[in-house]
Amino acid sequence: MLAKKVANIGFEAVVMVDRRPFGIDALASYPVFPPEFVDFLRRVMPADRHDELVRSVVVLARKPEDTGGAHAG
Amino acid sequence: MAYFTVDQARSIIRDAYTAAAADIPAVASGLYAADELAGLPEGAVSLALGVGHPVRHARLRSGEVVLDVGCGAGIDTLLAARAVSPGGRVIGLDMTPAMVERTRRHAAEAGLDNVEVRKGLMEALPLADASVDVVVSNGVLNLSTRKSRALAEMRRVLRAGGRLALADLVVTQALPEEVLRSAPALAG
Repeated sequence: MLAKKVANIGFEAVVMVDRRPFGIDALASYPVFPPEFVDFLRRVMPADRHDELVRSVVVLARKPEDTGGAHAG
Repeated sequence: MAYFTVDQARSIIRDAYTAAAADIPAVASGLYAADELAGLPEGAVSLALGVGHPVRHARLRSGEVVLDVGCGAGIDTLLAARAVSPGGRVIGLDMTPAMVERTRRHAAEAGLDNVEVRKGLMEALPLADASVDVVVSNGVLNLSTRKSRALAEMRRVLRAGGRLALADLVVTQALPEEVLRSAPALAG
């Protein structure tokens, strides 16, 4: 999960403050996705996934005051 | 398993975001309050492509220096620039030249003189160590093929005690391989 990845990089006070289902209808409102791709998703994704293909989340974190050594990416 | 090389993925994403055009604020109206959108340039609002509202959660204060990673057409950059005034400034960063130009234009249209826009990659941020107070990013990290590297860069440029506010999409159940192999899926 994203929060774990953020913590592993060396952030602290990692919290997820928002999480929402993100389905095909939501995705269709973004102009970076062509209509053919949206139709393709409706065909290949099971109907019970149409309302939640993925989730949108907001993660907050803080860089520690004492950063010590550098973290590699 | 990676289905695209780093260069292929960046090219696909650049093309998709360069071509992006919208006349109605379908995304913005679902994410931002009407009073936040008031007074923002129409282009910044109609081309909002984020997936959350990290600026709202970042609790920005006047005087702070903010980096918006993947600023797109600039809506979060502009909102952050308002929030850190007076005395603060915002650096918008995007790898797509068309988006860099859009944010510059929208900042000028909004009359915000505390916005700087740079072209660059989230995996190699063109900023000095410990040079910003807050990093925000909205729907961008998932576009990287090197997410840990991008997060490490965000950490590097933050001052000690600096804050990260990150909105993104996460997969909670596996997606079919035919979706993962699809180039348009990379744009989200």
